[in-house]
Amino acid sequence: MRFANNFPYGRAPFWLLVIAVVSVIVRVATAHRPEARPDLVMVTHTEAQFDAYRKAIPRFEREHGVKVQLQFANWASLQARLQNAILADTEVPDLSEVLEGALGFFTRGPIEDFGLLDLTDRLHADGLDQRLVQSRLSVWSARGRVYALPHDVHPVMLAYRRDLVEALGIDVSKLDTWDKFVEVGRQVSRDLNGDGIVDRYMLDMRYDGNWTLQILMFQQGGQLFDQQGDVAFATEETAQLIRWYIEQVRGPHRIGYECGWGQPVVKAMTDGLVLFQWAPDWRSWVLANEAPDLAGKMALMPMPAWTPGGRRTSTWGGTGLMIMKQTRHPELAWQLAKYLYFDTADLGERFRATNILPALRDAWKLPEFDAPFPYYSNQRIGRMYADLAPETPPVYSSPVDEAARTGLDRAFNRSAAYYAQHGEAGLLDAIRANLAEAAEDVRRLAGREKILAKGKP
Amino acid sequence: MINSVAQRPSRPQGRPRYKGKAPYVFLSPYVVLTAVFFAVPFFNAIMLAFYETNGPRSRAFVGLANFVFLFRDSTFRRALLNTTVFALVSVFLQLPLSMALALLLNAGAARVKGFFRLVFFSPNLVGQVLVGILFSVLFTPRYGLVNRGFQLVLHWGLETRWLSDPRFIMPAIVLASLWLWVGFNMIYFLAALQTVDKTLQEAARIDGANPWQIFWHVTLPSMRHVVVFVVIMSVIGSYQLFELPLTLLSESYGFGANDAGLTLITYLNYRAFRAGDLGLGSAVGWVVAVIIFFISLIQIRLGRVAEED
Repeated sequence: MRFANNFPYGRAPFWLLVIAVVSVIVRVATAHRPEARPDLVMVTHTEAQFDAYRKAIPRFEREHGVKVQLQFANWASLQARLQNAILADTEVPDLSEVLEGALGFFTRGPIEDFGLLDLTDRLHADGLDQRLVQSRLSVWSARGRVYALPHDVHPVMLAYRRDLVEALGIDVSKLDTWDKFVEVGRQVSRDLNGDGIVDRYMLDMRYDGNWTLQILMFQQGGQLFDQQGDVAFATEETAQLIRWYIEQVRGPHRIGYECGWGQPVVKAMTDGLVLFQWAPDWRSWVLANEAPDLAGKMALMPMPAWTPGGRRTSTWGGTGLMIMKQTRHPELAWQLAKYLYFDTADLGERFRATNILPALRDAWKLPEFDAPFPYYSNQRIGRMYADLAPETPPVYSSPVDEAARTGLDRAFNRSAAYYAQHGEAGLLDAIRANLAEAAEDVRRLAGREKILAKGKP
Repeated sequence: MINSVAQRPSRPQGRPRYKGKAPYVFLSPYVVLTAVFFAVPFFNAIMLAFYETNGPRSRAFVGLANFVFLFRDSTFRRALLNTTVFALVSVFLQLPLSMALALLLNAGAARVKGFFRLVFFSPNLVGQVLVGILFSVLFTPRYGLVNRGFQLVLHWGLETRWLSDPRFIMPAIVLASLWLWVGFNMIYFLAALQTVDKTLQEAARIDGANPWQIFWHVTLPSMRHVVVFVVIMSVIGSYQLFELPLTLLSESYGFGANDAGLTLITYLNYRAFRAGDLGLGSAVGWVVAVIIFFISLIQIRLGRVAEED
C-alpha cells in the first residue's frame, strides 16, 4: 500500500498497472495449447452425409494410418465461413463440400489465385471422368477445368398425390408433355366451394419464378452461361418460357400455386391444395420425412417433356467436394475424396439413407437402387432416377452465377408486372427487352472480373 | 502582442505538469488500439473503394470505376430508392405512431403505463433476425396469421404473397419494422413527455387552446431536442436496414422479387461478401456514409431553425 501511495503518478494508475500485469500473466499461464491439427480436416453440410462419412472414415484412417477430422456446419454458414476465410487468407479445411452455385465465388480472378486444387488431371488419370455422369462435371468446372468432385446427379421428377390424382381419373402416363399437363391442370385447378378462392391447383410453382423457372429452363436446354462462361439466358426460348410460366402462375387459367417451403408445403400437399410437387432425388427424401402421413398416397413420375419424346427431367441443386490448395497433403485428400465418393461398398447404403443418386454410374447397379420405396407406393424410385440421370442437363458455372440467377428473376418479375398492367399485348417484346437488360447487367459485372484477371491466363 | 500574451489565462494551479514519457506510455494502449481497430481499417476502407479485389492475393486499381459502376447500376439505384422510401416511412409513419402511443401511455395511470411500456418495447428485445423469421411465418400465403387475419376482417388477403409479390414486399418489411421499432421510439417520446412543464400546458388550456393546439404549440416544442434526436437516429437506422429484409427474404439474399426489398446495406453485403468484390462493397459503404452524413446535417440545421423560431 505504501508503494501505491509513493507511485509517482498516483494510486489509480498504480492499480491499473497492477491489473494489466496480472491479467497478462493469468492469460499466458492459462492459455490452452492448440491441439495438433489432424492430417486432414473435412467439412460437410448435411447431417445424412455427416453420419455416412463418420461411419466410413475409420476404415480410411486404418488403411492409411492417418487421422481425419470430420466437421459439420450448416450449408449457409459453411459457405460464408469458407468465403471469409479465403478473403482473409486464413486457415481453411483440407476438403469441403459446398452447394451448387458456390463454385463461382472460389473461381474469381486469375487462375493462380484460385484457392482450390485443379482435379482435372487426377480425374482423367484415374479414369473417373468416364465413369461419372458427364453433365455433372459442368457444375463443378471453371474455365474448362474441374475444381470439385460431383457428389450427386439430382435428376428432377414430379411427386404427386396418387390417391387424389387417381380419384380425379387422371392417367399420369399420358401426361408426357407440358401441353397435356397444362390441359389437365386447367380442368382440376378449381374453386371447389364457391367462395371465389381456388382450392385445388395442379402444381407447386414459385410466384416469382426463381428455382421453378430455372428447372424448366434447364429442361428446355437453356443455360445461365454457356460453356465459355458467357451469359446465355437472354434467348428466344427463355422468352417463350417466361411467357408460358406467367400464364401458369398469373393468368386467368393458372394451374400453379406457390406452396412455400417446409411445413406450408406439407400442409398444401396434405390438404390437396396442390397435387404435383417438384421432386429431385434429395427432395423425395425430404417429403417422405416431413409428410409421413402421406405414406403410400404419393408417387413419382418423370417431368412432362417440352416436345413429344423430349427430355423428361431437369436438375435442381448439387453438392461438390473441393480440395483446398492450402492442404498439406493433397494426395491424401484426393484419396479420401475418392474413397468417400466412389467406393461402391458404401454408396448403396448411403442411397438408402438419403435417396440421393450418386454421380458414379457403376453404383446404380447395386441392389439398393432397385428396392421398392413404400412411401411412393412401392415404386422403385432409385431405378426411376437412375434411368433419367443420363438425360440430366449440364449447368455451367461462372463467378457471377448468383447475379445471373437474380437477373433472370428480375426479368421474369418485370415481365409479370407488365402482364398485370397490359395483359398479353406486347408481352413477348417486353420479356425480350427485360431479358436483354438483365443479361447486360450480368455482362457488366462479368467485365469487372476481366479487369481483375487482366494480363493473367 | 505583448499585451495579448500578458492577458492569456494562466494554467490552473494545483495540477502537476508531468514531464517525461510516462503519460504517453499510459495513453499508448488506447492510441494503439484505436489505430489498429479504427484508423487503419478506416483508411484501408478508403483505399479499398478504388480497387477491385479478390481476397488479399490479388487486387487491381480501378480508380473511380467502382463509383461509376454503382451509379450506372440499376440494382444499386433500386436499393437507394427502397432505402429512402423506408426512411421516409420511418419518419412519417413509424414516429407519429410512436408519439401517439407515448401520448396515450402518458395520459394513463402509472401502473398501466409500466405494463404497456414493457409490452410495446418487448419486440425490440428479440432482435431483427427473430422478428424476420417470425414474420416470414406470419406472412405465409393462405396459412399465415396475417393473411388469415386480413381475410377474416377485410375478406381480402388470404393468398397475398407478401414476400414474393413485388407490390407487397416493402409493405411487409414496413409492417414488421413497425412492430419492432414503434415501441422502441415510444420510450424516448414517453421520457420526453414526462419532462414537459405541466404549467405551460395548463396555461394554454386556460387560454382556450384545444388538445391539438396544446400538443402542437406547447408539448412538441418542449420536447424538440428528443424529437430531432429520434428522427436522426431513425433515419440513420433506416439507411442501415439489413437483418430484417435479409431474414424475411432469405431465399433471395434479401433482394426480394424484382429487387423490391433490396436495401443499401443488403446490396453492400451481397457485393462484398457473397460476390467477393470487397472494393465495390467498400464504395457502397462510403456512399451510404456520405448520404447519412448529409441527411443528418440537414436535420440538425432544421432542428436549429425550429429552435430559433
